[in-house]
Amino acid sequence: MEIRGWWSRTRQSWRPSADRRCLITRRSLLWLASLAALIGAYTLAASVLSRPDILPPTREIAAAFGALVGRGLQMPAGGEHQHHHHPSSAQMETLLQEGVTLQGALAVTTGRVLFGLAVGLPLGILLGLLMGWSRPADDYLHPIYILLRSVPPLALITYIMLWLGHSEAHRLIPIVYAVAVTMVIPTYHGVRDVAGKYLVAARALGAKGRLLLLRVILPAAGPAILGGLRYSLAIAWMTAVGAEMLMAENGMGNLLIGGGMWSSRLQTRSDPAVIIVGILALAVAGWAMDAAARILGSRLTHWAR
Amino acid sequence: MRWVRVRRAVVALVAVAGLYGLAAQIGHGRLPDRIWLGTHYVENVQLLPTWRSLAEEGTFLLESDILVSSVAVSTRRVAIGLILGSIAGILLGLLTGLATRLESLADPWVTFFRFTPALALLPLYVVWFGYGESSKVLLIATNVAVITLLGAHQGVRGVPRVYLDAAASLGAGPWLRFRRVVLPVAFPSIFASIRVAAGLAWVTIVVAELIDARMPSLGYLLTLAGAYPRVPTMLLALATVGALVLLFDLLALLLHSWGTRWMERAG
Repeated sequence: MEIRGWWSRTRQSWRPSADRRCLITRRSLLWLASLAALIGAYTLAASVLSRPDILPPTREIAAAFGALVGRGLQMPAGGEHQHHHHPSSAQMETLLQEGVTLQGALAVTTGRVLFGLAVGLPLGILLGLLMGWSRPADDYLHPIYILLRSVPPLALITYIMLWLGHSEAHRLIPIVYAVAVTMVIPTYHGVRDVAGKYLVAARALGAKGRLLLLRVILPAAGPAILGGLRYSLAIAWMTAVGAEMLMAENGMGNLLIGGGMWSSRLQTRSDPAVIIVGILALAVAGWAMDAAARILGSRLTHWAR
Repeated sequence: MRWVRVRRAVVALVAVAGLYGLAAQIGHGRLPDRIWLGTHYVENVQLLPTWRSLAEEGTFLLESDILVSSVAVSTRRVAIGLILGSIAGILLGLLTGLATRLESLADPWVTFFRFTPALALLPLYVVWFGYGESSKVLLIATNVAVITLLGAHQGVRGVPRVYLDAAASLGAGPWLRFRRVVLPVAFPSIFASIRVAAGLAWVTIVVAELIDARMPSLGYLLTLAGAYPRVPTMLLALATVGALVLLFDLLALLLHSWGTRWMERAG
């Protein structure tokens, strides 16, 4: 059998066969039906309960969505739209006054998540490779890593703020930290537990250095690393939202708690329609990123199937 | 071999502690103690408290019973949330993993649940469940459930088709296949996700305890220490949370090695 590099793709993955396309169509139809059922069930539940302060009616959620998205699409000159998008709650009013839009907030948070991934992933994977590869490095670094890992990233925010001042740093560093710390474990276990056996065999056959790393360790640990990537995505989103809830003037976390700082928001009741719109947007964004990671993963690790 | 590992671990930890002490001694009196925080100055900040002031602060926190009661309250919340959340998450994950035919039907529901950063639910939970204990515990439980759901789902999906076919061709029914093939193969993935979730539960509590923040709780202790700011307290609270995360991780690890004791281990 020809040995391919871990980056090479199989030909047939580019175009699905007719059979597979039929399956995809059926699946997406089922998916849509289920989505419609979900919305229907929610509408029914909301109208049966008829407590708009707990489960706002679907209409109100759609209106909140329209107001939060539409504000960004409208010309800033308009003053007439106030009677059209009548702010339904104190939270909505604050958000509209501050000029917060859903797409703007989502873009800010996505940017933070991407920054966290861009810096955190290489750090975590390198540390995991090092610890999985070399026994002495594992022995010395693992205890320190365990200490680092056990500190919750969000708890660091105030301490970072004392060092670096009130800036973007204390929102980004926790995300980087969370991603890096999460990536170490799957990489480490991938290299040690999965690649261990192949490593012994390849070394016995005389493989060394780069060959060993590129052709043995990375392909064997690849699926574990990509599995870890999906965890890190979820954790990066969560940390970003948490950091924004605690300390940020923009982003989804800020939108969810309705602007302002926690201390001032604690006493007022939030508007569930706005929160549900925000959560839905986050779910869609998280799903899109996860799907991208999944597709990337199956392209990169086709040999594991 | 074992002793080498222990010796190296001790060397590494002592080196870190020593370096910290050295940095704190050098920084003592040199680091700024008056810090501009965007809106106001804060005075008397020890950016790197020395071991001595950490020890003094620790004795105070222990003697005044602040630390012990906070640990008790927060641990209870995390433990309940972890247990509730992992039961729900594992059951759901096993279901979605097993139901290959219903996958596209269940997908939107699971997607919504899985990709919502659970901290985003905090304001909604405050609205739904009030400022009491239940919203904190349920927030942790949801967070844990999201992770264990993913772990159980991937674990079940990771079962090689060959194993199932082999078992089926030997006459194993669905229950036997689930019990003897799917569960054992999915165990490592499930327990790995519990390990991650245990750490995440402690991340959540730091934020969850800002709901109706009051004193005996580690999350509020951290916030208070940050608000003053009183760095020795902050670092000690961080270290306490860290120690508790380690303790929970150790428990999860024990569970993991118990659940996978049938597996062959490489060296």
